[in-house]
Amino acid sequence: MTTGSGEESELRRILALATAAEPPAGAADRLMARLAAVETTAQVVPFRPRATRRKSWFAYAAAVPLAASLALGIYLGAMGKLDTLLPAAITGDLAMSFDADADLTGVGEAEAYAEEHT
Amino acid sequence: MTGRTGKGSAAVEDYTKADDADLLMASGQRQQAAFAELVNRYHRPVYRLVWRMTGGHADSEDIAQEAFLKLWRDPSQVREAKALKGWLMRVASNAVIDRSRKPAHADIDAAVEVSDPAARTDHPLDRAEATALVDRGIAALPDRQRLALSLVYFEGLSNIEAAEAMEVSVEAVESLLARAKRGLKQALADRWRDLLDGLA
Repeated sequence: MTTGSGEESELRRILALATAAEPPAGAADRLMARLAAVETTAQVVPFRPRATRRKSWFAYAAAVPLAASLALGIYLGAMGKLDTLLPAAITGDLAMSFDADADLTGVGEAEAYAEEHT
Repeated sequence: MTGRTGKGSAAVEDYTKADDADLLMASGQRQQAAFAELVNRYHRPVYRLVWRMTGGHADSEDIAQEAFLKLWRDPSQVREAKALKGWLMRVASNAVIDRSRKPAHADIDAAVEVSDPAARTDHPLDRAEATALVDRGIAALPDRQRLALSLVYFEGLSNIEAAEAMEVSVEAVESLLARAKRGLKQALADRWRDLLDGLA
């Protein structure tokens, strides 16, 4: 019966009989040539943003009458010059008689209400 | 990468004396001469492994090349220069296993023109027959067993290095080796003694 090291030795002797493969002639040169090919084919195409036309200043001209219109509206509204044209709900007596000190919540009347009903 | 920096250009030109770390670093800087030195050092063992794994298939050269091209594309994939050989072996063996799922290996049978030597036990083996017999026995092993056997017995890696190359535990490598030895011995059982006792 063979020992472990004996088996190991036998195995190595058997494996020594196997083919000792060698790279084909010129294999390393072919590899290096392929390397150069990889180098040339792997070029990165730089990203260039698409050229855009610069906007004309005429595009901003449309903003001028819009801004003027807004400013005029604010002025006329503040001066009350157009109140006659607005609905009565906005400009009528009810709206105009608004008293900032009036208690619109009804909480202030709760005490009187309670006294009356006790 | 663990390479050193700050070498003068005169020292960089002599890549034959540079260590793997320096070669990897120079390769990362697209120095083909440095990479050529890596090829010079490791192409032969990588090719041998691929040849063994494919059973001598004609694609062996292509597969070995692929491993090096992968390294060339990004040398920083190898985190430790001392593990470079194992890294190349792993990439190459993975490529072999990927390809082996497609066509069957046939070249080893055609490489040596002998009629099945295992079937003829009545005459002494000559060297070519013995070689074909052993090659066939190895080729018949399952991929992982053949890989472990090749790394340890043909390429001289330690079990630890083989485990790293195969990305398995050392115990797994030992188990694969034990099964490979058993399998090979069974495959060659009829001529095992003849192979050991000497050739005609």
